[in-house]
Amino acid sequence: MANMSFSPTALPGSDTIFRKRFPNGSTFLAYPNSTSPAVFFRGYLPVGSLSDPAGKNGLANFNAGMLSTGTKQHEFRQLHRLLESCGASISISAGALATVFSGQCLKEDLPLILALLMQMLSEPTFPQAHFERLQQQLMTVFRIQSQDTTEMASQAFDRLYYRDHPYAHPELGYPQTVSTICREDLLEFHANYFGPEGLVIAFAGGMESEKTAALFEQIFSNWNAPSQQKQVDLPVWHPHKQAMREHVVIPEKSQSDLIIGTSAPVGMSQEYQLCALGNNILGQFGMMGRIGESVRERSGLAYYSASTLGAGLGPTTWKVVAGVNPNNLDKAIRKIKEELSRFITEPVTREELEDVKQQALGQLPISLESNSGIARLLLSLERFQLSMDYLRELPAVLEAVTAEDILTCARNYWHLDSLVIASAGSTP
Amino acid sequence: MNKTDQTPHFLSLSNGLRIALKQIHTAPIVSSWVWYDVGSRNEVPGKTGLSHWVEHMQFKGTSNYSGKAMENAIARTGGYSNAFTSPDWTAYFQTLPSSALETALRFEADRMVNSLYDAVEVETERTVILSEREGNENDPQFLLSEKVQQAAFKQHPYRNEVLGSTEDLLRLTRDDLYQHYRNYYQPSNALLCLAGSFDEDAALKLIEKYFSPIAQTETIRSTPTPENEIAQAEKVELLGPDEVNYIQIAWRSPKASDPDFFAYTLIESILSGPSTLNMFGSGGIGNRTSRLYRELVENQFAASVYGSLSASIDPGIYTLYITCRDDHSPDEVIARFNQVIDSFLNQELSLEEQETALKQARANFAYSIDNITNQAFWVGYAQSFAGYDWFTNYVESLRQVTREDITRVARHYLDPARRITGVYRNRDGVSNG
Repeated sequence: MANMSFSPTALPGSDTIFRKRFPNGSTFLAYPNSTSPAVFFRGYLPVGSLSDPAGKNGLANFNAGMLSTGTKQHEFRQLHRLLESCGASISISAGALATVFSGQCLKEDLPLILALLMQMLSEPTFPQAHFERLQQQLMTVFRIQSQDTTEMASQAFDRLYYRDHPYAHPELGYPQTVSTICREDLLEFHANYFGPEGLVIAFAGGMESEKTAALFEQIFSNWNAPSQQKQVDLPVWHPHKQAMREHVVIPEKSQSDLIIGTSAPVGMSQEYQLCALGNNILGQFGMMGRIGESVRERSGLAYYSASTLGAGLGPTTWKVVAGVNPNNLDKAIRKIKEELSRFITEPVTREELEDVKQQALGQLPISLESNSGIARLLLSLERFQLSMDYLRELPAVLEAVTAEDILTCARNYWHLDSLVIASAGSTP
Repeated sequence: MNKTDQTPHFLSLSNGLRIALKQIHTAPIVSSWVWYDVGSRNEVPGKTGLSHWVEHMQFKGTSNYSGKAMENAIARTGGYSNAFTSPDWTAYFQTLPSSALETALRFEADRMVNSLYDAVEVETERTVILSEREGNENDPQFLLSEKVQQAAFKQHPYRNEVLGSTEDLLRLTRDDLYQHYRNYYQPSNALLCLAGSFDEDAALKLIEKYFSPIAQTETIRSTPTPENEIAQAEKVELLGPDEVNYIQIAWRSPKASDPDFFAYTLIESILSGPSTLNMFGSGGIGNRTSRLYRELVENQFAASVYGSLSASIDPGIYTLYITCRDDHSPDEVIARFNQVIDSFLNQELSLEEQETALKQARANFAYSIDNITNQAFWVGYAQSFAGYDWFTNYVESLRQVTREDITRVARHYLDPARRITGVYRNRDGVSNG
């Protein structure tokens, strides 16, 4: 293991990350940088599409989209005039388990922007005209998605892989479910699930930690939501035992998208760290790892071909993805299977392991490159319940990993006789 | 991560390599870029896509290192690297821990002169680039954009996609690529930028060690004649299988070094929202108070609208991208669009709109320096079309623009008789239109 070129104590840690939990159940994190003229923040509320009622898939996403269409204090135009006239932005979207928000502003505008964020989260008015407009926009998005090979391959993969689990459904929902959502559904969803309990927000940039914590408390302590419910429990999910294959035909597309996948460990667990190193070797390192070397560099079959490891609190996936000419689809599948076979048969080489360990160490200072990146990092630490010293402890964790550890992980998760394969594009 | 007061130190080597060094000591990392003054702007008919393909071949190895060895050595540092080909330039960068700067400089100097262009690798990369193009062709907006560009420029190479045409990609040879590489990849045609935490003297010694031995050779340049105006209004239509209808409307924009570019920037901000200054890092500012969003999206004529104005060496285009809803035909949307533009050209601009555009520019500038890679990008990018002062004075230049300037520039450029209107329609009429 080579040396680190800088001290791990220079990384954000428990002595430099400001963290405070408030009585209303919200959590505040901050990592200041006095040289920055701007402030970047990210956060989440623990409610997402998992709580979509039956037949109303897409409700959490619809709700997230409506939060910026008007509040009790500011109708749509006023709200956006306030935001845009100071060059700030707030965006809100829903995932499976959380409604996620992020924003940026000049530091002098932070009090205003935080107040607007609070209003958007806590007192949206769901104006009828904007409800109808967003519903129409979502229908347009569905029509665009239906012709998008990447999106259709992804949806097919989730359908096959998650079967009757809620994750089988796209967070956006379906045209037939979104068209049945009414304004009252949104009011009910918001009343049931939105409140300060479980809210997490992380700041990085030109603000001061304690002053900003006080500002946050002043604004957000007024948010009381006694009826706030916890998100519905995540159903248990059992990995499938058989191979599955689906191709979605989208005529006249020059390129097909391909996904070959399997299950993955819970995000940021110890096993996840091992898989992450293995995944780098499989399809990330350098020019997309072994997969890129085989499918792109040696065979010229694809512009992109890589592996990705999901990171989530619920069940998630380990995938190989590629964009290939429709006539090369089967050939690409064969090449990828060859690499997967090698991955679960032979230990990675000592050189490969050293490469990815070195890379992981070198990425630690790179994580300090931007304030927006630091805000994202703080949020991950909180979301995955990691130590605030996680980055500083990582070198020792990496040091201990062996090639056999990675082979064991690879064998635990990749089973060539039960791969899920989804693709979308023209008929080959 | 930021700090606005670090001015780059500009110098050059005797072989003509220009150097810009910008010290930022907020994180122990450095972003190293090499910019070549060549892009699709310098390509001739029948050889489109050369610059982009050469960029790909620069990752395929030299007489000293295999492509994989170079990629892996950079990845091992924990850093990230990439390359971009634009109409005006080609750039390569690595952002890595400061201690690994020498690795980046060694490889960049080596591939400036020693790349192999192995014939087998050329053929493999041909299919990779065709695949990249096929991926883009899946998107009807790409197909429409290609048509609009071709209509907006009759002879200037800005009419061509950087990727090149499929026809040319099938025809180009290894010799075409190698000649392009040897001609344009010269120290006197390049700018090396470093931004981040480094010792300037030590960095200069490394730069001299690796780049000074490269001999100076004159670049023979194909320089196009600028097309200052779109001669007349033109409509281009594309029919396809996608269900959603799209509109793209393009007007000529001035070259970035033209003082009118700043007034145009404010026009863009007011009409369609401000363009981000970030190639890397966090996103930009919304456009929900822009005139076109209010009139087209809020009033339920379109699902989305946004604009794109880029700083370029020669006059370019300002393009509006509109996604239609299924309850309004493209013609109805264009009619409404025309009303917005007519009103913009004929009514006095409010002070509030101008001040908002200025504040947005100031905020965008602050966001643009949040990321060290983006700071290095701007040093090189601004040099490509004007000079670094263009970037540092960006907010002040916008502040100098008067409302009269905005009106004058808008009336000159946003002329309905000199624009390209592109429409993509579903060929089976699935959408209303």
